[in-house]
Amino acid sequence: MMEWVVRGGDICTLLNIFVSVPPEVSESVDMSQPMYWDRVDIPLPDRPYKDVLTDADKSLKQKEKGPWGQLTKEEKIALYRLTFCKTYPEMKQQTAEWKTVMGGIFFFLGFTGLVIWWQSVYVYPPRPRTFDDEWKSQQLKRMLDMRINPIQGFSAKWDYEKGQWK
Amino acid sequence: MAHPSQLGFQDAASPVMEELLHFHDHALMIVFLISTLVLYIIVAMVTTKLTNKFILDSQEIEIIWTLLPAIILILIALPSLRILYLMDEINDPHLTIKAMGHRWYWSYEYTDYEDLGFDSYMIPTQDLAPGQFRLLETDHRMVVPVESPIRILISAEDVLHSWAVPSLGVKMDAVPGRLNQTAFIASRPGVFYGQCSEICGANHSFMPIVVEAVPLEHFENWSSLMLEDA
Repeated sequence: MMEWVVRGGDICTLLNIFVSVPPEVSESVDMSQPMYWDRVDIPLPDRPYKDVLTDADKSLKQKEKGPWGQLTKEEKIALYRLTFCKTYPEMKQQTAEWKTVMGGIFFFLGFTGLVIWWQSVYVYPPRPRTFDDEWKSQQLKRMLDMRINPIQGFSAKWDYEKGQWK
Repeated sequence: MAHPSQLGFQDAASPVMEELLHFHDHALMIVFLISTLVLYIIVAMVTTKLTNKFILDSQEIEIIWTLLPAIILILIALPSLRILYLMDEINDPHLTIKAMGHRWYWSYEYTDYEDLGFDSYMIPTQDLAPGQFRLLETDHRMVVPVESPIRILISAEDVLHSWAVPSLGVKMDAVPGRLNQTAFIASRPGVFYGQCSEICGANHSFMPIVVEAVPLEHFENWSSLMLEDA
């Protein structure tokens, strides 16, 4: 029975069912102010958008209590705008926020590049001589002669008979 | 040693390291599978237009995402424990070497038959011969016979160090006042490099380890020469 009640999802239904249940079940009291929101997945907010009505709005609201066929198109739209801020298409509309985000990303990437360049010019010590091309080629030859990683790694990729990479 | 821009492990030079390589392949495959699944779920969650605000529980998926991780963990644990016990098997070493960590060099003692001991300092960059490896070469290498079980007893004379040679699958902390034992078999001849693996001061990065595995006659010649020099 609990599943049936809970699947209904409606707090009013829940409270009604609890009337017939022993009094140790307590109501939860929410003292927050009703909020307005424009959300695609929760269609009906806790309060209408405009809750301070001008006299013109109030008379329109009175007219709304009568047959709706007598409302003009502009009046219907005005009534909608009293209750809601945005329409569904307006809510779903794409913004240009992505341009700001991408711009920010590229800016900081560029700044990082600047910092890295400055470091390599003004901070790093001179390169050790083991990074010279001649040393590196001698080192490579020595690694091959020593059969470094001969199974799958380094020397495995050198063809010793032909004297070239496989 | 590692070659430039290497990402994976060095080729194994001992049977234990081979086992560790295969275990790593197994565990990494599981990691990739889980990551792919999670990435797929994230993309699916982010790109869907469906919503359901009234989900409260679901026993079926809870069972799946409890059992499945338990099974995956068992699949990882079983090979892992197998290797752990394999490493601890009773072995019959042919040779016992003591490696002592100092600030900032290693010293090796071969005292099974004679009293052979020597220090192993890093060769500074300015003293390297052309083609030698910067920060890895030492003046004396720890020479061992190939395909022989070696017991190595590791300790330190001052602060913590750690004796590590990745291609042999060996790492053991050198603790002052404590004797740690580990063992390895070099399954192929060659030169295997490692570096001190416990912070020990200013030159912690400059006390490498070099193990040279050679056929037994060469080892005997080398140890005789070293004894003469000493």
